[in-house]
Amino acid sequence: MTTQSSEQASGFSLGSLIRRPETGSLIGFIVVYVFFAILGGAVFLGAPGWSSWLNIAAEVGIIALPVGLLMISGEFDMSVGSVVPASSMMAAVLSGHYELPALVGILGGLGVGLLVGFVNGLIVTRTTIPSLIATIGMMFAVMGLTLGLAVLVKGSTSVSYVPDATSKQLLGTFIGGMFNVSIFWWVGFVAIYFFVLHLSPLGSWIFAIGGDRESARNAGIPTNKLTITLFMASGFGAAFVGIAQVMTYQAAQVAGGQSFIFNSIMCVVIGGVLLTGGAGSVIGILLGTMTFAVVNQGIFFASLDPNVGSIIIGALLLAAVLSNDTFRALAMNYATKKK
Amino acid sequence: MDIMTILRRPAAASVISLIGVLLFYIVFGGVDLGKLSGAASWVNYAARIGIVALPVALLMISGEIDISIGAMIPAGAMTTAIIAGHYELPMIFAILGALTIGVVVGLFNGILAVRTSVPTLIITLGTLVAMQGIVLAGSKLLTGGASVPLTAPGWAKTIFGDFIWGGSHQVVIIWWLILAVVFWFIMHQSKYGNWIFAMGGDKVSARNAGIPVDRITILLFVGTATAASFVGMCHAILFNSAQVSGGMNDIFNIIVSVVVGGVLLTGGFGSIVGVFIGTLTFAIVIKGIDFTSIDRNWANLIIGVMLLLAVGMNETFRKKAMTAATKKKKG
Amino acid sequence: MKLTNRFVASATATIVAACVAGSAMAADIYVIGGKPDDPFWSRVKKGAEDAGVVAESQGGSVTWLGPQNYDNLGPDAAELIRQAIDQGADAIVGPDWVPEAMDPAFEAVVEAGIPLVIYNAGGLEAADKLGALNYVGAVDYKSGYAAGEYQGNAGNLNGACVNTLPGAANIEAFCDGFNAGIESVGGTGSVLQLPATSFGDATAVAQAVRAHLLQNPEINALFAIGDADTNAAVSGIQQAGKSGEVSICGMNFNESILANIQAGTQACAIDQQGYQQGFFAVSILNNYVNYGVTIPTREILTGPGIIDASNVELVIEGVKAGAR
Repeated sequence: MTTQSSEQASGFSLGSLIRRPETGSLIGFIVVYVFFAILGGAVFLGAPGWSSWLNIAAEVGIIALPVGLLMISGEFDMSVGSVVPASSMMAAVLSGHYELPALVGILGGLGVGLLVGFVNGLIVTRTTIPSLIATIGMMFAVMGLTLGLAVLVKGSTSVSYVPDATSKQLLGTFIGGMFNVSIFWWVGFVAIYFFVLHLSPLGSWIFAIGGDRESARNAGIPTNKLTITLFMASGFGAAFVGIAQVMTYQAAQVAGGQSFIFNSIMCVVIGGVLLTGGAGSVIGILLGTMTFAVVNQGIFFASLDPNVGSIIIGALLLAAVLSNDTFRALAMNYATKKK
Repeated sequence: MDIMTILRRPAAASVISLIGVLLFYIVFGGVDLGKLSGAASWVNYAARIGIVALPVALLMISGEIDISIGAMIPAGAMTTAIIAGHYELPMIFAILGALTIGVVVGLFNGILAVRTSVPTLIITLGTLVAMQGIVLAGSKLLTGGASVPLTAPGWAKTIFGDFIWGGSHQVVIIWWLILAVVFWFIMHQSKYGNWIFAMGGDKVSARNAGIPVDRITILLFVGTATAASFVGMCHAILFNSAQVSGGMNDIFNIIVSVVVGGVLLTGGFGSIVGVFIGTLTFAIVIKGIDFTSIDRNWANLIIGVMLLLAVGMNETFRKKAMTAATKKKKG
Repeated sequence: MKLTNRFVASATATIVAACVAGSAMAADIYVIGGKPDDPFWSRVKKGAEDAGVVAESQGGSVTWLGPQNYDNLGPDAAELIRQAIDQGADAIVGPDWVPEAMDPAFEAVVEAGIPLVIYNAGGLEAADKLGALNYVGAVDYKSGYAAGEYQGNAGNLNGACVNTLPGAANIEAFCDGFNAGIESVGGTGSVLQLPATSFGDATAVAQAVRAHLLQNPEINALFAIGDADTNAAVSGIQQAGKSGEVSICGMNFNESILANIQAGTQACAIDQQGYQQGFFAVSILNNYVNYGVTIPTREILTGPGIIDASNVELVIEGVKAGAR
C-alpha cells in the first residue's frame, strides 16, 4: 500500500498533496496500519492478516462506494441495511427453496436492490422528503416485508442454499483458501466508480448536484435521473453483498445487515467525504474503508479488547471531522492566494 | 377555524397518523380499544422514547440532529448501575453521575457542532461509536461483566422507577408529561422557542438578529444527551439492573417518532404537541400490534409505511401552509 | 363525521366480539419470547402456535409477544410480561433472561393469580422462586457445558467461545457454561468477544474467528451461539487453513448446520429443541386452565441434546418429516 501511495504522490508537489481530500485518510490509514502492525506482529503483516481485513473491507467497501457517491451528491441511504438480508433471502428462496437456476436467484436478489433503490430515488426526487427519512422508512418497510414474506413462503427465518460450483466460484469462494473473491469484485467496483466520478462527465454532475442542486438543474443536468440512478447503485451494491454472503455462507438469514448502515457511512466519512456535499473522492473512500477494516480486524491480531476498536473508530471519525475543516481552510486559502 | 387551517398546523399529520393507525388496527386487527387504552405497555414505551424525543425535536427544529442518543441511554443506565450497584455508593452519586455523563457528551457534541462546519449527523455518529466502545470497555474493566445489578433505595424508586396507579404504568410517564409541558412552554410561549425556530429557518440571519446561536445549539445538544442518560438511569432504577447495548434501534425509533410528529428534518418547522402525538402513535404501532390479530412479523412494514405516509402528509400540508401564507400576503 | 361514525361502529363491534369470545371457557395464553426474525425463536414460536391450535379449537388463543430488538432485553421483556397481564391473559409463558429486571414482573403475574410457566431460561430454580407451575427448556449454562464437555472428551482441550453480542446475559451464560464444561475435563476455555459493530454480519464473524485462530494457534475447540454465527465460524476455520485441526460445536441447528456435520466441517450441534419448549409450555398451561390438570414432573428438559456425525442422519429424517 505504501508503494502505491508514493507512486500517487510522485506527480504532485507536497503542498497540493496536503490539500487533496484523500490525504487525511491516507495518513489515518498509515497510522492505524503501523499501530496494529506493531501490536499484531508477523501474522498481521503476512498474507493471512491482509486477507483478513481485505475480506471485511471488500464487503463494506462495495456498499460504501455508492453510499459515498450519494453523500457527495448530498443524499443518504439508510435502507442498505435491510437490502443486504432482503437480497440474500430472495436469492436463497428462489434458488434454494424453489430450486430455480442460480442465475435466477442472483438476478432476483439484485432486482430487489435495484427496486428498493428506484423507490428511494422516486420518493426523494418526487417529494420534498429528505433522503434520510425516506430511506429510514424504506428500511423498516423492507425489513418487515423480508421477515413477513420469508415466514409466509418458507415458514422460517433462515433458508439454506447450496450454490452450484460456478456461482460459488464467482461469488463465494476463497482464493488461496483465504482471499474472498469479493475482494476482486470490490477492486472492479472501485475502478468503475473511479471512472464514473473522476473521469466521466457524470462525476462532475454528481459534484455539481452536491454543491448546489438548483443551479445544477438550471445548468441542464438531469438531477432527478442522476439521483435515482445513484440510489439504484447503492441498492445494487447492498444486494450484491447480500448475494455474495449467501454464496459464501450457504444460508440466508432475515436478521442482520443493520451493521452495514453506519459502517458504510463511517468508511465514507473516514475517507474524507462529508455530507456537506460536493467534495470527496473514490480513492478517499477506498482508504477510509481499508482503515475501518484494519481497525476492526487488527484488534483480534493485537489481542486488544474489541471495544477498544469502537473507541478507535469513533476517534478516527472525529479526527476526520476535525481535519476536514483544516484541510478545507488550507484549500480555500490557497485558492484565494492564487486569485 | 376552517378545516384547512387545522390541517396546516404542524401537529395535523401526527393526529391523522394516530387515527389512521388506530383505524387500521381496528379494521384489520380487531383490536379491543378498551384493553388497549387500559394497557400500560405502550404508554410506558411512549414515555421512554418521548423523554428523549422532546429535546431531539427541539434540536431538529433548530436544524441539527443527534444520533449519539442511542449510546447515551445505555450509558446512563450503566453509569447508575456501576456507581450504585457495583461500588455501592449512595444513589445520589449515581444519579448525578449519570446526568453528568449526559452533560459532558452533550457539551462535546455541541462544541464540535458550533466550532466545525461538519454536519451534526457525522459528529454524533462519531460520539455514538466512541461511547458504545467506552461504555462496554469501561464496564468490562470496572465490573468484569456487561450487565450489572443494583438495588435502589425507596426514595429513588418512588421518584424515578416505580409503578403508579396500582398497575404497571411507570413513573417515567409523569416525567414525560411534565417535560412535555416544560418543552411546550419553552417552544411556544417563550422567546427561546422563537429563537430555535429562527435558527432552523436560517442560521446566519438568526445570528445577525442577535440570537446567541452557538450557545443555544450547545444547550440543545446537552439537552438531548442528558435526556437520554436520564431515561437510562430511570430504567436502571426501575429494573434493578443495567446492561450494555448498542442502542442502534432507539436512534431510528426516536427519529421516526419526531418526524411522524411533524418536525421537519431540515429545521424551522414543528410543534411539541405534534411530537407528543407522534411518539404516542409510534408507541401504539410497536406495542399495539400485540393487541391485534396481525402477525407481529409485519410490524416493521407498518412502521415504514406509516413513516412515509406521515412525512408525505406533512410535506403536503406544509406546502399548503406556504401557499396560503403567500396568498395572504398578496391579498 | 362519517369517519367518526365508522370509528365508533367498528370499535363497538370489536369490543362486543371480544366480550363474546372472552365469556366462553377458554385459555388466552400469552407467550413472551425472542424477536420474531431470530431463527431459533421463530421455531419456538411455531411450537407455541402449533400447540395453540388446540387452545383455539377450545375457544382460546395464543399470542406471541417479543421485543423489537435485544438492545434492552431485560426491561423490554419485563414490559411484555406486564403487557400480557394488562391484556387479560389467562396464562403466561415467559423466559427468565435477566432475573433482576424480570422477577418483579413475574411476581406480579403470580400475585394476579395467573398461572405461569417459565421456559427457555432460568431453570427450575427460577420457577420455584417465582411460584411458577413448571420449567420447560434447556438451560443455557448447561447447553454450553455440554458443548465444552463434548469438545474436551474428544481431546480438544483448548477452547474459545465466540460471543457476538457482549452484554446479553444468555450469551454470557452459554460461554460461561462452555468454559466450565471444557475445564471439567481438564481443558482451558476463553472467550472471543466481537465488537458491537459486527453483530449480524457473517463476514465480520468469520474474519474475527480466523484472526483469533491465527493469532492463538493453540486453540483447537470453538463454540458458537446460533446458526448464523456457527456457519460463519466454520467458514472462518476454513479460511484460517485449520479445517480438521480446530473442531467446532454450535448452538442450535438448521439445514446448513446439518450439512456441515455430515460433511465433517462441524463436530457437533447442541440442540435445545426450541419447538418443544414453545409446544409444551403452551400445552401445559392450556390443559391446566381448561381442565385443572398438571404435570407432576418438574423441570421438563428439552435439551441439551447433542447432534454429531453419529446421529445426524436421524435428525435429517426428522427435519424431512417436519418434526424439527
